[in-house]
Order: sequence, then C-alpha cells, then structure tokens
Amino acid sequence: MLASVLLGLFVVLGIAGPSLAPHDPRVAIGRPLQPPGGRAVLGTNDIGQDVLSEWLIGARATLIAAIGVTGISTALAWLVGVTAGLWSRAALPLTSLGDLVLALPAIPLYLLILALVGPNQATIVLTLGLLSWPAFARIVQATVREVRQAPYVEAAAALGASPVRVAVHHVVPATFGLLATKVVLTVRFAIFAEASLAFLGLGDPGAKSWGAMLGTAFNYPLLFARGAWLWWMAPPALAIIAVVWATSVLTMERPRG
Amino acid sequence: MIRLAVRTMILLAAIVVLNFLIPRLLPGDPLDALAAGEHESGLAPLSAAARENLRQFYGLDRDLVGQFTHYLSSLARGDLGWSFAKRQPVRDLLAARLPWTLGLVGAAALSAALLGTALGLAAAWWGGRVDHALVSLASSIEAIPDFLIGIGFLLVFAVGLRWFPLSGGRTAFEAGAPAAIDTLWHLTLPYLALTLSSFAIFLLLTRHSTAETTRAPFVAVARAKGLRPRTVALRHVLPNALPPIANLLALRLGAVLSGAIVIERVYGVPGLGLLAFEAIRERDYPVLQSVFLLTGAAVVLATAAVDAILRAVRPYDAR
Repeated sequence: MLASVLLGLFVVLGIAGPSLAPHDPRVAIGRPLQPPGGRAVLGTNDIGQDVLSEWLIGARATLIAAIGVTGISTALAWLVGVTAGLWSRAALPLTSLGDLVLALPAIPLYLLILALVGPNQATIVLTLGLLSWPAFARIVQATVREVRQAPYVEAAAALGASPVRVAVHHVVPATFGLLATKVVLTVRFAIFAEASLAFLGLGDPGAKSWGAMLGTAFNYPLLFARGAWLWWMAPPALAIIAVVWATSVLTMERPRG
Repeated sequence: MIRLAVRTMILLAAIVVLNFLIPRLLPGDPLDALAAGEHESGLAPLSAAARENLRQFYGLDRDLVGQFTHYLSSLARGDLGWSFAKRQPVRDLLAARLPWTLGLVGAAALSAALLGTALGLAAAWWGGRVDHALVSLASSIEAIPDFLIGIGFLLVFAVGLRWFPLSGGRTAFEAGAPAAIDTLWHLTLPYLALTLSSFAIFLLLTRHSTAETTRAPFVAVARAKGLRPRTVALRHVLPNALPPIANLLALRLGAVLSGAIVIERVYGVPGLGLLAFEAIRERDYPVLQSVFLLTGAAVVLATAAVDAILRAVRPYDAR
C-alpha cells in the first residue's frame, strides 16, 4: 500500500513537478545555505536557490531515466533472448556479444562513453539502455529453449501448427512471466546509474536531477561543517531510496506468476 | 581449462579493440573536445597549425588501420598516452592509483562474499523470523545506492562520531601513527561501505542455494543415517551450496569495482575511481580510456582466476 502510494507520488512529481515548484530553481531567492523556513520551505543551496523547487523538478530526470532505460533495455533483452532461443544460427553471435558486454566494467565504460559524447538526458538513457540487456537476454533465451522441448509445444507441432504459429502462440508467451522481474531490476539499475553518473559529474548539465543535487552538494566544501546536508542532501537521497524500495516491494507483493 | 583460457584471451582482445574503437565510433572530434577544454580553462584556442601538429603527434592523420597498429605498438610498449591535465604519462598515474583500488575491491568483494554467505546460511538454517529479518535487511540495503551508503557512513562515523577521517588515503604532513596503520584507518570506512553495498546478493543466493541443497536426496540419506543436524549442515549441505556462490563472486567483481569508483569519490581515496572523477572534470580522455582498459582487463583476469580455482577444486561442477 505504502509502496504504491510512494510510486504514484513519484510519477505525479515526475510529470507535474516543474509546475508545482514554488520558485524558479535557477534564480537565487535568499542567502546561500539558508536553513528551511520562510520563502524557502526546504532551505537554499550554495548559491541561494530554492532546494524544494530543485527537488520537485529533479524528479523528472529520474522518471525519464527509469522509464527510458527500462523500456529500451527490456525490449532489447527480450528481442535478443527470443531471437537467440528460436533461431539457432543467431544464438552464438548474440550470446558472444552479450558475454562481452557483461564482462565490461559498467561504470568505467559509461564514464568513457558519456565523457566523449557529452552527457545529456538522451545520451544517458541510450547508453544505459543499450548496454544493460545481456543478463536478462540469457534468461529469456534459456526459457525459450526449455519451452521448445515442452510436451505441449511438441503436441502443438504434432497437431500441424506451423513453426511460426508454435513460436508466436506457444513459445513466446512463456517468456512474459519473466518481464516483471526484469522491469524492477532495471528500474533500480537505471535510477542508481543515473544518480551515480550525476554524482560523478556526468549528469545532464541542463537538467536538475536528484543525483546532480547530491553531486553538487557533496562538492561543496563546507557541507558538513554548516549542517547543510540535512536540508540539501536528505531530500534527494531519501527520494531515491523511497522510489527504489517501493518498486522492489511492489513486485515482491505481486501474486506469483 | 583451455576453453577458459581461449575465452579470456578473446575477451581481453575485445576490450583492447573496443578501447580503440569507442572514441572513433562515437560522434565528435577529440581535438574539438580538447580545444573546448582549453577554451574553458581560459587558455587561447588552438591554432590550426597546433591542431595539425597534435593530429600528427597522436597519429590521427593516418587511416584507421594505421591508427590501430600505432595504438597496438604503443600499448605493447606500455605507453598509454599522455594526460593533458596532469601533464605526465598515463601509465605512471595508473601505476600510482591501481593498488588503492585493487586493495579496496579485493578486500570488500571477499568480505561481502563471506558476510553474505554466513548470513545466508543463518537465514536458511534458522528460517522463520531470522530468515524474514535477514531478507528484509538485505532488500532494504539493496534499495540504497552505494554512494549514499558511503555518505551515510561518513556522516555518522566521520562527521558525527569523529572516529575516522573525512577523506583521503593518508594523513598529510603528520608523522603520527605508522604509515600502514594510518592508511588502514583511512580506508576503514570506504571498505565497510563497499562491503555493505555488495553483500546482499550473496545472502540471497546462499539462502536460495542452501534451501535447494537441503531438499536433495543425499541430505535426506545423511539425516536418515542419524547424523546430527549440525554435521549435516556443515559437512553435507554447505560444501554443495558453495560453487554457485563462488561463481557469483566472479560475476560480481565488475559490480564491486563500479561501486569502488563511486565510493572512492565519496572518501577521496586516491585510487582509479578518484582519478576517473578528476579526469571527467578535466576532460582528460586518455586517462578515462586507460581506466576503462585497465579495469576491464583486471575484471576479466580476476573472473578467469576465480573460475580456474573453482574448476581445480571441484572439476565436476564446472560448466
């Protein structure tokens, strides 16, 4: 219940955040590092911008990363897995490619690519989405191969169903049950990766995001000395944790299947 | 064993080739980026002649094959290029930073595997409430990004309690404790943060793999022989539940390394991660490329080593 509410809130924030923001987060509204109170409900950052507005607008970057990366990665993984499972000639090249991508160290690779092409929301989503499919593609491929041996598939073929019909109606539907797990794991991966990259200085410089807030705050030398972490870092940090926690709880509570 | 060696060689070769291709396949001219960096740093933009000289110096005026042989021969000589920002050979930079990262990743990956396995066994052994509590703990920790675990530890143990230093790898200008102890003291929090952010998956797998083994017929036989539950657990269940865990350790090395990159930034540990962070700010592409090459090779070799040990110890489990 709590998890659904949190996720619902997150989606609403991601869509409506910018219009809910009380101030323009690019304009200073008070002294630097003003504690919560007055015009700045959650205080201000190092250059006097409103933290609440930054936070509200930052939800969108996280939502875009979560939806974009999960969509690309899941679709690609499923396509590769089904193709490799059904078409034995494609299996070797596809699994080898997957093994290679899986063997590359993730963060150093993303850092190199994004530093070269320049980080913006599109390149971040593409990089993360296009490089995170192999693990799940393997599982889909294994399931397809297993199901192809199953008695009911043999029966369908024996009854005269064409190979295409067997594949589309009997084999491929068996992989749908796996998609929910993939979606949760990828939402978590996308949110963590986007935040980590922003934290390391490779977020979209034009967009406010929760990861970028944390990165900027952590770069500020007097963060801990002045207690500013409490209103500057806690909101984005708690938001990231809450969204990832809610996503995983929701799927664990799902009825099995 | 031969298949493993061949596979490892192919992966290493692929990483070397990718390291060459990535900058060339992606849009953009490295000299543009270099020029932009110089521009931002307030220096005069590169003249056309200077660009041409740079292009020749890096062999970028040759065709792709020529560039590739140039790259391979430099690599064979151990020449990884020149760091624009730090104004020294990349190789020297990496050599100074690598031990920090290797130590951190090695210690944290092993500790995470041990801690996760122990807790996973406890969860499978006692079941019920213990199991529930441990699984909830693991999944809650899984919901926190590694750099936030790092910042949390920093807040509690360095800012609040002042037990550990805020950042760095050594105390500067101070001849207090011996250097080794001083370094360990600096590395305690990064090590703990990285261990905590990596152990959960080992707990979940051990719990699962132990539960599966417990249902195997030979365990029923062992019980039927009248062996004590303890003996059954330690002598029969545990050894058979271990191979998937060792496999997982090999598979997770890359992830622990990625975690170390971020954690090093949090604690200012002078390893490859902090080097990469500095290179991002300074647009120091040769450094970023070499960090990718080196960590990629390290992960592939370490994974192969774990695989080889596993095959040597339990040949019939090797897939």
